[in-house]
Amino acid sequence: MIDELRELFKYKDLVKQLVIRDLKVRYKNSVLGFFWSLLNPLIQVATITIVVKYILALDIANYSAYLLVGYLPWVFFQMALLDSSDVIILHHRDLLKKVYFPREVLPLSSVIANLIHFGLALVVFFAYLLFYYFFLHGSPIMPTVLWLPVLIVMQTLLITGLAFFLSCMNMFFEDTKYVLTVLLNVFFYLTPVMYVAELVFTKIPEAHRGLLYKLYLLNPLNMLTDAYRKILLPPFHATRMRGEEISSLPLDYAMLGVCAVVCLLVAIAGYRFFNARKWQFAERV
Amino acid sequence: MNHAIRLSHITKRFRLIQEMPGSLKAAVLSFKRPPVKELLALDDVSISIDHGETVAIIGRNGSGKSTILRIIGRVYLPSSGEIEVNGRMSTMLDLGAGFHPELTGRENIYFNAAIMGLSTAQIKNKFQDIIDFSELDDFIDTPVKSYSAGMLMRLGFAVAVETEPDILLIDEVLAVGDAEFQEKCYERIDSFKAAGKTIVFVTHDLEAAKKVASRTIWLNKGVLQADGDTHAAIEDYLSHKA
Repeated sequence: MIDELRELFKYKDLVKQLVIRDLKVRYKNSVLGFFWSLLNPLIQVATITIVVKYILALDIANYSAYLLVGYLPWVFFQMALLDSSDVIILHHRDLLKKVYFPREVLPLSSVIANLIHFGLALVVFFAYLLFYYFFLHGSPIMPTVLWLPVLIVMQTLLITGLAFFLSCMNMFFEDTKYVLTVLLNVFFYLTPVMYVAELVFTKIPEAHRGLLYKLYLLNPLNMLTDAYRKILLPPFHATRMRGEEISSLPLDYAMLGVCAVVCLLVAIAGYRFFNARKWQFAERV
Repeated sequence: MNHAIRLSHITKRFRLIQEMPGSLKAAVLSFKRPPVKELLALDDVSISIDHGETVAIIGRNGSGKSTILRIIGRVYLPSSGEIEVNGRMSTMLDLGAGFHPELTGRENIYFNAAIMGLSTAQIKNKFQDIIDFSELDDFIDTPVKSYSAGMLMRLGFAVAVETEPDILLIDEVLAVGDAEFQEKCYERIDSFKAAGKTIVFVTHDLEAAKKVASRTIWLNKGVLQADGDTHAAIEDYLSHKA
């Protein structure tokens, strides 16, 4: 694997060019450019906020901020996987048949392009936070924000591993993308994006709560979503419909460490899976 | 013993694509796998090519000429056998290979160079040479998708040779150029030879083979039929055909 990585490193300029091309093509011919891809999550967040606050009538103070902080990483996850799963077949099938280059640059550049998006979305999120703190609370951004790069690295590793696996599977079974779309729909609700992880915690029978909740956090999606929320926003205040208080739990740093290992293992496993099959792609397209 | 290219006992089988389950449904439903049809594209081919040699590969359609070039160019892995390549390769395995249709000629020079593993800095020095050689000054800022076959060939060949590889692989693309440009390409190939570089090209143009290559390999249905002096190999090939 080390040799493969060294070879990949030689082609870093190719990755750079593919990423730039990806970003250029996406924003070409649209006046609002980048804002289109930001507008979508913002409208989603506004819609979900209205549904939760006024139709389901859950009382969570500043719900939209807690939602947005989970939704932006989710969009990164979703878009990166959808883009990378068919990037080879859709855009680069001719290249595969005619030129040698490390095949992994293709899914990798899709992931990186989406990472850059996510970075831009976070900038807007911070602008929103500043506005929100400044005008509404006057409290500063918390020092735990320093964990943010760590979380981004972890999430990127997770996504890269899955992207390698999916883009490879898609070369052999073109339904991979459809299965992925279904799974993403399911996991959007299973992951604590629209709600906080504490709600799941309170639903676990008390006898097994400690262990089962740790198992729940073993899913890196759950852990990461929870962690983004906790490092970027202060503990929430929420009451359920029957007036029951839900208290905010502290961030489980031990599980975050475990999660980092899981993300790294996913990345390595995905890369190995991809490498073992990448030279068959040219015969499959 | 430092060869530019060494193929030992290369065999390549292709599984015929329509026999493969193309979807999960088909994979799940086919409890009994259909007998896999295989195509033997190359059958135990061994070739050594030294630095500085210019070798033509001839043979009828479907004889494995392009397959062998793609195996040398690392696009396909052989089913069995070993390959050794010493030196940096430039490949022209098809018209517009390594170009992105949406990008302009200028952007594609960078893109193509990046695909060959060169950095932007390395290609910058060669930029003017490439444009000069291809004679495409007027079209260099036009997207490549509107290029003609001849223009694609010009740009592809220019990038392939001006980046100064040690080994050049060309698959039959020169035929689309006009006579004058073809002449220019063969002149460039001659100076390439003079500089001690290695060239392997697939061609149906036997006159071109005679003109450029000192050695010719004739493949017939995946089997190495002749390997040696160009005139002798071509005579063999022509008499076999008749």
